[in-house]
Amino acid sequence: MKCRKMMLGMSVGISVLLFTSSFSLAMEPGKLLMETVDKGLTVLKEPALSGTEKTQERRQALWKEISCVFNFEEMSKRALGQHWKKRSPEEKKEFVELFTNILKDAYIGKTDTYNGEKVVLLREKQDSDYAVVQTKFITKNGTEIAVDYSMLNNSGEWKIYDVIIEGVSMINNYRSQFNNILLKSPYENLVKRMQEKTTEETATQ
Amino acid sequence: MRKSVFLPIFFVLVVCLYMSFVWADDPTPTVSKSGGTVGDSKGAASYAVDKELKDTHVELKIPVTGEQPGEAASESKGTAATPAVTEAKELKDTHVESNDPTPVEQAAKKASESESKSDVTAYAVNEDKELGNNNLEVETPSVRDPFQSYNRGVFVFNDKAYYYLIKPVYKGYNKVVPEKARLSVRNFFSNIRMPGRFLNCLFQGKINGAATELARFIVNSTIGVGGLFDPAKSQFHLDRQNEDFGQTLAKANMGPGFYIEWPFLGPSNARDTLGYIGDIAMDPLSILAFFINPLVPGGASGYNTFNDVSVDGGDTYESIIKSAVDPYIAVQDAYQQNREKKIKE
Repeated sequence: MKCRKMMLGMSVGISVLLFTSSFSLAMEPGKLLMETVDKGLTVLKEPALSGTEKTQERRQALWKEISCVFNFEEMSKRALGQHWKKRSPEEKKEFVELFTNILKDAYIGKTDTYNGEKVVLLREKQDSDYAVVQTKFITKNGTEIAVDYSMLNNSGEWKIYDVIIEGVSMINNYRSQFNNILLKSPYENLVKRMQEKTTEETATQ
Repeated sequence: MRKSVFLPIFFVLVVCLYMSFVWADDPTPTVSKSGGTVGDSKGAASYAVDKELKDTHVELKIPVTGEQPGEAASESKGTAATPAVTEAKELKDTHVESNDPTPVEQAAKKASESESKSDVTAYAVNEDKELGNNNLEVETPSVRDPFQSYNRGVFVFNDKAYYYLIKPVYKGYNKVVPEKARLSVRNFFSNIRMPGRFLNCLFQGKINGAATELARFIVNSTIGVGGLFDPAKSQFHLDRQNEDFGQTLAKANMGPGFYIEWPFLGPSNARDTLGYIGDIAMDPLSILAFFINPLVPGGASGYNTFNDVSVDGGDTYESIIKSAVDPYIAVQDAYQQNREKKIKE
């Protein structure tokens, strides 16, 4: 029964693909994501780039491989939420830059402690231009961490706009923080705090 | 003598019960529509006001200070919403109540409406309900935090306690005790605490979950050498059911109540605190404490908590703190989101 449904779904899917979007050459979001993860893991496993003295080099290499799959503007827009459209184009640009730096420091920094974690693709759901790819990180001691990626199709290119770790959406988390700061103080203060965050990060590196 | 220990617990329980009902009187949590309001008729400006005034129950929103009513309308697109928002801030302190739509509000509405027309594409995600996890539209229930200044104090204390007390100790502990042994300690305590998870599965009507827990207990207590290993997971693919009493209460429609940061225990809320007390009551270790000696099981339980942190290496906590602009809010939000997920499961 399930099999028949699947076959039906697949044939419908294939025909829709053939007839409606024969021009779009978009790669499946799940496949794209896993390829990117693999690229990232290759960098992390590279013996020439391992060890603490190679940290900066490794981070650079990793960033080069994976940054292209993130949609930082979309992330910034969502993290600012209702406050986004009140900003001028210059402010938006500055914000995207600052937020990208924060995300980069936070998440690239995490990979320094990479210790043979495995990534498994569980399933992907797609609905027109939005997709969710569910994966599972398995650590060496067998702990499993659910990591979901929300992706957006931007003219044929799937890009990540949110990462959800054990139910905690990264973008929602930042939005709570930004909202909280913006409730109490003007936008300039938020920018200032974000700048401090970035300089503090570079100082500790 | 022993009764005196339970008196404060009972007191806390009553207070929590009372508070959570007082605060959680509305079963549907207030939802924040961050960003998602653009397409709504409500408009961004009045939304911001709503959010501002949520706690003070001020209905609306007339300009108190000398804002000119017509001004908002003449503002250029994109900034039109700002005056109303600033007014809302001022209003917070004055507690003015009125339901009459003022010219400013109407103007702001108009402005945001015209804006929403031009901005539809950017936020089209709001209509996309199918996937259910587009973050503009998945509304994060706002956290009630009436004791924020106290909580922030405890947060700082916990943070210092973690970095200066617990972390140095587990670093040493990790050097002495191999990871395999630490995992076994964790498995052992987890196995002992099966009754709590089993009962909570039952309370939530999860018969399969309860059966899984029972099967896990039998397998791990025997083949797993008294719970030191977890063959139920590795051999039989029976996953541990992380159900606790807080989740049971949530399933019974209890709202989270206020957010609270406990010393050493970390983030919680009124409901989960109550749940925590319920879990203690269901913990075989506390029954041991009651009948034998409260120090031994208490110490064992504390050791287990410490051991868990050492297995995790504090990674979860540290990564949230490191990447945060406001660590307190980051932890609060992460706690909230994570609990929501566990309750849904």
